[in-house]
Amino acid sequence: MKSKADYVIIGGGISGCSIAYNLALQGAENIIVIEKSYITSGATGRCGAGVRQQWGTKMNCLLAKKSVEFFEKAQEILDYDGDIEFKQEGYLIIASDDQEAQQFKKNVALQNSLGIPSKVLTKEEALEIVPYLNPEQVHSATFCHTDGHLNPFTMTDAYYKAAKRLGVEFYLYTEVLDILTDGHKVTGVLTDKGEVKTANVINAAGGWAKEIGELAGVEIPVYSRNHEILVTEPVEKMQGPMVISFSHNIYCQQTPHGAFIMGRGDKDEPKSHTMRSTWQFLDKMSKTVCTLLPKIGELRVIRQWGGLYNMSPDHQPIIGGTKDLRGFYMACGFSGHGFMLAPMTGLLLSELILGKTPSMPMENLSLERFEGKDMEEVETSVV
Amino acid sequence: MRIDKHPILDFSSRKKIRFTFEGKEQYGFEGDTIASALHALGVKHLSDSIHKKRPRGFYCAIGNCASCNMIVDGIPNVRTCITPLKEGVDVRMQEGKGRF
Repeated sequence: MKSKADYVIIGGGISGCSIAYNLALQGAENIIVIEKSYITSGATGRCGAGVRQQWGTKMNCLLAKKSVEFFEKAQEILDYDGDIEFKQEGYLIIASDDQEAQQFKKNVALQNSLGIPSKVLTKEEALEIVPYLNPEQVHSATFCHTDGHLNPFTMTDAYYKAAKRLGVEFYLYTEVLDILTDGHKVTGVLTDKGEVKTANVINAAGGWAKEIGELAGVEIPVYSRNHEILVTEPVEKMQGPMVISFSHNIYCQQTPHGAFIMGRGDKDEPKSHTMRSTWQFLDKMSKTVCTLLPKIGELRVIRQWGGLYNMSPDHQPIIGGTKDLRGFYMACGFSGHGFMLAPMTGLLLSELILGKTPSMPMENLSLERFEGKDMEEVETSVV
Repeated sequence: MRIDKHPILDFSSRKKIRFTFEGKEQYGFEGDTIASALHALGVKHLSDSIHKKRPRGFYCAIGNCASCNMIVDGIPNVRTCITPLKEGVDVRMQEGKGRF
């Protein structure tokens, strides 16, 4: 292992790989990524593989929109020999009642003002897009045709390979044990494979971001909790968009491979690092999908798994440094949507680290935004 | 091919069960699965591989491998190796991953 590096990124998920690639692309050198398991072993490889721009806060909308613009060209930009499977067939967000419909109207107005081509649909229009929706469960809907599906494994692999070509070194199966500081600034990272001297540490540890912060003495107001997903047998194409409902607490899409992936959040899920699968999830998930999309009930479940949502107080990411410890940066608290925001995570954080003017204002992404005042905006469009 | 005589095991005669395969009338016996009835009739090609469309036949025989997925009474992806043969069922080969 190298004994010195200019930048040490902790975490080999899509955020860490994107940050590494963006730093290297802008000319930074001596970059290493430390991953305690394998690439995409954490939340990235366990996510629902969706990409959406229909958010309820300006910051999430902008991050998502600019990320989609990157994904549209990612295959060429990253010169990737695999297939990132970016399928833009939209997200259909179901409103169950008047109250939800009113909120969605406001969301769409915000999204449109930022250039996101979402629109409000009637119940009939929604049923045209997904004919087997249970009409009794649909009040109205919103739809954005440029949202869609992206393969978490190949997309991360594309960043990983592009970063490697630019000289980034990856140390897999290497665990961070401590972050060394002199009290004011970062001086190094201690791993189970040795010590690396560095002035810059980037915390992209996903579900373990809070614990990495603790190693550096930086308190990050995030926590992790298990979020479960299941996948069905593959069948011929029958559903274009991701169908999502906040009141039913479900998202469900058909991947290009033909399998349906679906997940739901559980409000009672405790804070923890468990990633177990439960029969309770299988039971509730099956009932939920059969209520909203009865036809999917005919398919067999192939397997289920869990992964960590890293939740921030306002359900928006924390991307930036901290005034308490020079050289310590973080990209965490994505609250279940770090995968789809990764292009902007990498771009903005690398610009900030290299002292450039960020491509968009980052105040509302800072760790300091939670200090001593009420949060300005809270994202509620989360499953 | 079916074994009629065996030095140790006894194969008593069983009730004939009528079904159709690809629209043609066929017979199996009580206790057969759909796939075992087809196998005994010499039907070795039950499905096609997903990508290269190569023939796939009776393989795991325990409902895990999907080689014997067929359309039974209009329902795709039926694991015929673990589905008991019933009087009058309509069995057809399916194209691709199953159309629901």
